[in-house]
Amino acid sequence: MKAALLSLPTQVGVAALAIAQQTGGIAIMAAQILRRLLPPKIDRVEFFRNMYRMGVQSLPIVIATAFFTGGIMVIQAAPIVQSFNATHFVGWAALFTTFREIGPLLIALMFNGRVGANNTAELGTMVVTEQIDALRALAIDPITYLVVPRALSMAITMTALVILGDFFAIFGAIVTADVMLDFPPASFMNHGLPMVEFWDFQVGVIKAAFFGVMIGLASCYFGLATTGGAPGVGRAVNRSVVASASGIFITDYLSTFVLA
Amino acid sequence: MIRVEDIHLSFKSPVLRGVSFEVQEGEIYALIGPGASGKSVLLKTIAGLLRPARGHVWIGDVEVTASDELQMMELRKKIGMLFQNYALFDKTVGENIAFPLERLFDMPEDEIRERVAERLAAVALPGIEDRIPASLSGGQKKRVGVARATIARAPVVLYDEPTAGLDPVTSQKIYNLIRDEQRAQKSTAIVISSDVAGVLTIADRVGMLLNGRLIFEGTVEEARASKHPAVEQFVHGKTEGPL
Repeated sequence: MKAALLSLPTQVGVAALAIAQQTGGIAIMAAQILRRLLPPKIDRVEFFRNMYRMGVQSLPIVIATAFFTGGIMVIQAAPIVQSFNATHFVGWAALFTTFREIGPLLIALMFNGRVGANNTAELGTMVVTEQIDALRALAIDPITYLVVPRALSMAITMTALVILGDFFAIFGAIVTADVMLDFPPASFMNHGLPMVEFWDFQVGVIKAAFFGVMIGLASCYFGLATTGGAPGVGRAVNRSVVASASGIFITDYLSTFVLA
Repeated sequence: MIRVEDIHLSFKSPVLRGVSFEVQEGEIYALIGPGASGKSVLLKTIAGLLRPARGHVWIGDVEVTASDELQMMELRKKIGMLFQNYALFDKTVGENIAFPLERLFDMPEDEIRERVAERLAAVALPGIEDRIPASLSGGQKKRVGVARATIARAPVVLYDEPTAGLDPVTSQKIYNLIRDEQRAQKSTAIVISSDVAGVLTIADRVGMLLNGRLIFEGTVEEARASKHPAVEQFVHGKTEGPL
């Protein structure tokens, strides 16, 4: 019992040190990426390859997420607006929450699970199979060749996917409102859209860009910091997904204040 | 010439404890020793992939241990390296071998294609440019690794366990290939191996690492005749002894 109590401060200290090390490592990686972007040193082939893999190949999952998110928002808002006899507010409620909050958040979490985890696993595997050392031995800078195109692609594709996702969320909301509430699409558009400001849409897009940067940095950092063979890759993916998700929520919390 | 001077390096515990030796230009230096004696770590330190806590490494006139990553990028253009686990990229065999030339040298595509074909022929794997590494056997992957390590005709080539896990015939073919390459390019080579019998057939000089220390250095004949208990046991593969 005494040993367990004594070890508690140690455990807290170890965890605090690990978080400090990881945060510092991510900050250093961000600085290394910036250094290579001024002036831009980007491997174009890798960049476009990653844009395709991370952006185009994420389309089905993002479209599905956005469509259902829009629909869910209508389902959630419906009983409330109906109880106040204010059905015409359903469009506004669904779009406002989807644009500003739920759309970017859910798409970021999907993107983190699909693209971020895959990126960490790929880089981690390259570390444990000595491919990163091989790149360096071949006089090729792994940050320029691997990290910059990936981090940049994630920031750009995440933003683009949220913009696209917003349109599918509107579509999902309209379809759901029509099917479940008998609320015709024309009414939805006429009542809902004018009440949503362009700034609401912009807030979501700005958040998406931050989330993309966050996922890019964390997934690359944890991938390159992999140690311990194949089990180490699993641990790195786990850490990357958890750290990115935590970062997404913290960034969302802070940016909601700033962009309110 | 490669000069290694008093290298100390630790991870959680000391791995290299004051290693010093020299490799003359145009020489094949075999670095032998049991597993976990620090051979691969030493090779990566020579290539500048790991930073020692103490000591110096020179390749020619350039001090590796005093160079930053950007200076090392220049130096590494003159170094070829074969990794123990092949370290082949997720590309075709042809793209893997051509990779250093495409990235580092301003060379026409036709010439690169010719050089890749010539390298593949040299490692007895002609015409497999379009195969992917996952479809190759361990021996074939090693040979592709040798082809990639030597395509830039670097004056220094470092081989980490080029025959680990291979059958004796394939192993000897790879050793012969390393020797032929070194003669053709007049390069300087360090070959790490636990396969003493094989590596001694091509080495000019031998060093043996044990627990992070260089316990023997000399010619192949001296290694075979050594009365140092650990060297004698390791070189002759005896089961009785200090190892």
